[in-house]
Amino acid sequence: MLREMKYAIATIGLLAATTLQANDNQLELQSNPEYWATQLGNYQGNRYSQLDQINRDNIGDLRAMWQFSTGVLRGHEGGPLYVGDGRLYIHTPFPNKVFALDLEEQGRILWTYEPDQDPRVIPVMCCDTVNRGLAYADGRLFLGLANNTLVALDAESGELLWEASNGDHTKGETNTMSPLVVHDKVIMGISGGEFGIRGHMTAYNAETGEMAWRGYSNGPDKDVLIDPQKTLMMGKPIGEADLGVSTWPEGEWKRGGGAPWGWVTYDPELDLIYYGSGNPGSWNPQQRTVDGEPADNKWAITVFARDPNNGQVKWVYQKVPFDEWDYDGVNENQLIDVEINGEQRKGLAIIDRTGFGFLLDRETGELLVAEKFAPETNWASHYDMETGRPVVNEEFSTFRQGVNVNTTDICPTAMGAKNMQPSAYSPETGLIYAGINRICMNYEPYETEYVAGQPYVGATLTMMPAPVQEGDQEGRMGSFIAWDPVEGEVVWKTDERFAVWSGALATAGGLAFYGTLEGHVKAVNIDTGEELWSFKTPSGIIGNINTFQHQGKQYLGVLSGVGGWAGIGLAAGLEDPEEGLGAVSAFAALKDYTELGGVLTVFALPDA
Amino acid sequence: MTPTRMSRRVFPAIAMIIGVAVSVMVMFAAPPGAAQENGQGQGRPGDYIAIDGKVDQGTYDGYIAYTRACLACHGPDGLGSSFAPSLIKRVQQRTFSEFSNVVAAGLQIQPDMVMPSFADDDYVLRNIENIYSYMKGRAAGDIGRGRPRVIDEAQGQEPAQRREEDASAKN
Repeated sequence: MLREMKYAIATIGLLAATTLQANDNQLELQSNPEYWATQLGNYQGNRYSQLDQINRDNIGDLRAMWQFSTGVLRGHEGGPLYVGDGRLYIHTPFPNKVFALDLEEQGRILWTYEPDQDPRVIPVMCCDTVNRGLAYADGRLFLGLANNTLVALDAESGELLWEASNGDHTKGETNTMSPLVVHDKVIMGISGGEFGIRGHMTAYNAETGEMAWRGYSNGPDKDVLIDPQKTLMMGKPIGEADLGVSTWPEGEWKRGGGAPWGWVTYDPELDLIYYGSGNPGSWNPQQRTVDGEPADNKWAITVFARDPNNGQVKWVYQKVPFDEWDYDGVNENQLIDVEINGEQRKGLAIIDRTGFGFLLDRETGELLVAEKFAPETNWASHYDMETGRPVVNEEFSTFRQGVNVNTTDICPTAMGAKNMQPSAYSPETGLIYAGINRICMNYEPYETEYVAGQPYVGATLTMMPAPVQEGDQEGRMGSFIAWDPVEGEVVWKTDERFAVWSGALATAGGLAFYGTLEGHVKAVNIDTGEELWSFKTPSGIIGNINTFQHQGKQYLGVLSGVGGWAGIGLAAGLEDPEEGLGAVSAFAALKDYTELGGVLTVFALPDA
Repeated sequence: MTPTRMSRRVFPAIAMIIGVAVSVMVMFAAPPGAAQENGQGQGRPGDYIAIDGKVDQGTYDGYIAYTRACLACHGPDGLGSSFAPSLIKRVQQRTFSEFSNVVAAGLQIQPDMVMPSFADDDYVLRNIENIYSYMKGRAAGDIGRGRPRVIDEAQGQEPAQRREEDASAKN
């Protein structure tokens, strides 16, 4: 009761504050290390906690305190939020339930929200019905449903406050991402790059659900919200107008994909949001040429820096012009301050789908570093630092090899050397920690025709494990790495049997955490990668490990529940192309290790 | 072989294919290995030729169609995934008419497990028999993982007829 009163008073205080800027609340919550108020831990996307009650000395004592079944079978991405009110807020994949669980009563259900959605949305979700979770500000929870409905719930009661429609699933538009609250706006992207949708990022008023602005990923500048005289590209104004139209064959930009379905990060000082757009529509590059020659297909696979107030684009950096491999550019942009060449820079670091680790200047979009974090990466030899463009290897160019030609042994796979699983950054070590995929592919483009609401893919894709390098664990398909974003090199790595598809966590306790597809939560020494502790949850982990402190006790919370593209691609196991027919593969089948089922596990030290 | 998609007019056609297939299966149901043993071309759904890892053109087309349209949910080589079951197992329990009916009509098993209808996808419809043959070959262990090669005509094997020609002949 005392606790409730205390929070009631706190809530009154917050209500008084909301007349200022709504994101004050989110910023205030983020600055309290006891809370985990946004999916990536803070606006900068660092997934770092200053909590150190759980540390290297006592990690062996960490115990599962309780578990909670969500009753949903599909892949569980994202993780629990904790905003200091003694509750955990969690969500599920389709049907997108939300639960408020009492942290003090082993997860007793305080309220449940379950929307009524058209199940026809399920088969238009390309890679499982995942959802990356809730956002919170000022007593409201926000969730983007699979069917593109953005809902605002009263965190106290679970009551629906408003809903807004962000897209049409009958045209192949869906939602998987977690919205971000900035100022008085809720910002949400869209999925459907495999259905020929036209990607956009949209802001809604957090109080009313009214649309504030929408910036498309392709089309004329006025739709993208670009000013070619002001918007920067490689540190200079773009100059030429409407590149989002002219870098496509006639009208193809209208189904040009560029869906931004990953994470959005935010720099409160520069007042800019950052996110990446997905692959251009149709995986067949031939259908995106202009006069038979490669065209940039702007602004697919592009990092956008936008003003959150009006959506105007401050700068762009296209990581992959003319995609030939489905290298969606949606991975999180970690905002980190770095010293490079003796100079302090406001940096933006990406562990990218392409196998390259990028470092950009987040004020100007200038490219500072582009180096391979996955050594098997072969589609490009390197990036030209003057032009910011990749130098593509012809042998692995699916356009040069041609339509109906199976280009083989391209690394990484379309899943990316890293997918959406968010990385962590420790300001103490200056390193980024990320789960990565060690998988390659064969890719065969074919001619396809656009029909609204039908898949618009135009390439077949088969996968195989990346060639094993010296010192690698036999049969590994994933790794957990520590990456130096300034030097552009891997500091340490630890191999895993399967792709590491969970979000990472770094803490002041000298630990980094991640989950495996078999279902283990693991803690490693942040300096060496040495495994110090692990716990087997009931299903594979594609969610993120979050930490928070309540009444003096530090907790760890993680959703397990296998699925996502990893579950689809790896369940049956991959074939090693090096092996002869009938050889027993060292490359395992995920289905031999885990089954479906969503469970939240909450850990703590028993004596804390 | 350019896949194109047709509109609603396909639906009566597939209904007729299914109808014909039902009667064919009832009257002429044969073990899947029969055609292989006989070395014949395959007129019936589920028949295939597989010799030394090579298959007839129709079954090869079935592999390609599976990889384009089914793999994204059902996993590589028909083996199933965390999202949808193994079709290798399913074809052992389902007649061609049941199989093609599910492909055309879709399926809702649980509220969160839904297969779409492919009734509007002409490319998939044209290849249902090929996919079924490929899966039967996988189920019997005659076709391995990965992309099979096509039997060389010079070896004296009759390449399969395109199935849409069969269908149109029946119409």
